[in-house]
Amino acid sequence: MSSVLEQIEQQIAQLSTKAVRKNVGTIRTIADGVAKVDGLSDVMYNEMVQFPGDAIGIALNLEEDEVGCVILGDIAKLKEGDEVTTTGKLLSVPVGKGLLGRAVDSLGRPLDGKGPINSTEAYPVEKIAPGIVVRKPVTQALFTGIMAIDSMIPIGRGQRELIIGDRGTGKTTIAIDTIINQARINKVGLASGDPKFRPVYSIYVAIGQKNSNIVRTMSALEAAGALEFTIIVVAAAADNPANQYVAPYAGAAIGEWFMDNGMDALIVYDDLSKHAVAYRQISLILKRPSGREAYPGDVFYLHSRLLERAARLDGKGSLTALPIIETLAGDVSAYIPTNVISITDGQIFLETDLFNQGVRPAVSVGLSVSRVGSAAQIKATKQVAGKLKGELAQFRELAAFAQFGSDLDPKTKAQLDRGSRIVELFKQPALNPIPIELQVATLWAMQKGYYDELDLKRVTAAAVSLREHFSTRHDALLSKIRTKASLDAELEAGLKAACDEWKSTFAA
Amino acid sequence: MSAQSKAAEKVARLFFKLSVEGGAVSAERVAGILAYIERHRPANPLIVLRSYHRLIAAELARGRAVVEHSGAAPEALLQSIAEAMTRRYRRPVTAISRPNPALIAGLRVRVGDDVYESSIAARLSTLSTAN
Ligand SMILES: Nc1ncnc2c1ncn2[C@@H]1O[C@H](COP(=O)(O)OP(=O)(O)OP(=O)(O)O)[C@@H](O)[C@H]1O
Ligand SMILES: [Mg+2]
Repeated sequence: MSSVLEQIEQQIAQLSTKAVRKNVGTIRTIADGVAKVDGLSDVMYNEMVQFPGDAIGIALNLEEDEVGCVILGDIAKLKEGDEVTTTGKLLSVPVGKGLLGRAVDSLGRPLDGKGPINSTEAYPVEKIAPGIVVRKPVTQALFTGIMAIDSMIPIGRGQRELIIGDRGTGKTTIAIDTIINQARINKVGLASGDPKFRPVYSIYVAIGQKNSNIVRTMSALEAAGALEFTIIVVAAAADNPANQYVAPYAGAAIGEWFMDNGMDALIVYDDLSKHAVAYRQISLILKRPSGREAYPGDVFYLHSRLLERAARLDGKGSLTALPIIETLAGDVSAYIPTNVISITDGQIFLETDLFNQGVRPAVSVGLSVSRVGSAAQIKATKQVAGKLKGELAQFRELAAFAQFGSDLDPKTKAQLDRGSRIVELFKQPALNPIPIELQVATLWAMQKGYYDELDLKRVTAAAVSLREHFSTRHDALLSKIRTKASLDAELEAGLKAACDEWKSTFAA
Repeated sequence: MSAQSKAAEKVARLFFKLSVEGGAVSAERVAGILAYIERHRPANPLIVLRSYHRLIAAELARGRAVVEHSGAAPEALLQSIAEAMTRRYRRPVTAISRPNPALIAGLRVRVGDDVYESSIAARLSTLSTAN
């Protein structure tokens, strides 16, 4: 009898020691975060491969008898001859609400010393963008809190709006303001208990930036109380190019989780110029043929497949993308800027001249456009700001003439005067997003001429004081504007009474 | 890779193709190729020879199951692994034994780039990487 049992036991033993099959290779050469590997004959394109220690690689170049892998993580300990193993998995990152308030690297590993990430799900870093059928047109606003943008270049949920400009023109600030504004709106909305309220979660991807800048950004978000609604993905300048290459895709995967689960998210890629440079570096080491400006031929696809992942999905949520591109001397015709401009739904163009003249945010209204956002703009803003963009553009044209002397006809003079008042009105300090209902009040007062008699230099201060007046004394009116989202006779009467009241205090 | 070494790789691949006869590396052919290289000295002979070596080594590895075992592998085991791998890869595979005390118990078999593990050490390491 015991032999029967032995047979069964043997079978059990065989089953439980079933061999695991792996496909392996060895490092032939390793340099600058890229390893050439012999073997790995079964590896798939973009598959994750395991190096000794903690390092993970992605198979990017599949050649006849070698595989080019970029390495994420510490490459200092790797050497020629080390064994590399396929994993059968595509690179993935942890996703979910457990990442909110956290700073992670390109693989979703915590960087903030706040302990392990609380997440049970992972998403592949590379994913095919949603098709046309499941996409819905953009119809719901995403308020940046920047008056010049919300009134003239409105952005909707699911849109891809490029922020473009030279170094130090306030690109990051616009993105951070937008994230802070979402956090403030979320707090008000969630406190209101309105079941229809849809919060916006933010993901900020820092690519190739100096650590000092990243720390500055994070503390700005923290100080504004925005961290709890924000996830930060970091691949700093000191990180190897592979981490910088992967970071935006990792961020997109984290954002897609919100979209797939019926929520709205916003993602900022700061910036894609540095991302393209990291990719160029990898491609040069992989000896891929290069083209214009030494970028590899597929650099267009690099950004198109990333930005295509932003969408508004039927029956689900949305992912809004704000990619950032840095230009040199305002040149938007360089390779990477033209590519990204052609992929996005519009751009916010920032000008050094305006910035230096003190027009901040330095938004060039003439060169900025939002191709889909006006469908998402609320009616109240349309009512008070409908003509502003045209007026400002005209003002820029006339301003060129104005310097030729004083014999301008009264009509031109009036237009110039009004234009310069609008410019003053749109000045707004950094890290200070303005709620949409206060924007409406500010612009309504402009429309009705409340700033017309003021000295030009006092217009910005007047707008600040008007908003203060509204938020301290007319909270009920502001909530009504916010919930109705359009101005009727009753609201206009309320606005008039409040503005008259303010005027008497401000002039005094 | 420079254009030079690319060309050398190409030459090495050609030599490699000529060295295979009836699906297996032929010792005779390899000797012939080496004699040819000696006599005619292609450009960058060192690169050519190194790539040639790599290609031949990879090909030989595909026809050989290296069986790592904590003790000495019994002949019958080697025989059955050779048969199983021959069936699996649909080509003649021979088995050789290589003692490896680090495996604790069980086996590790390598054929070409493929590694089959059923050692305790492997199971411990899959346990430690699973999370
Ligand atoms: N609206 C504003 N009002 C006043 N200062 C501003 C405003 N926007 C930005 N700044 C200041 O201008 C500087 C540059 O801003 P920011 O870092 O946002 O620019 P950037 O274009 O992202 O720069 P970089 O090219 O270095 O990434 C910062 O010191 C910031 O505080
Ligand atoms: Mg910046």
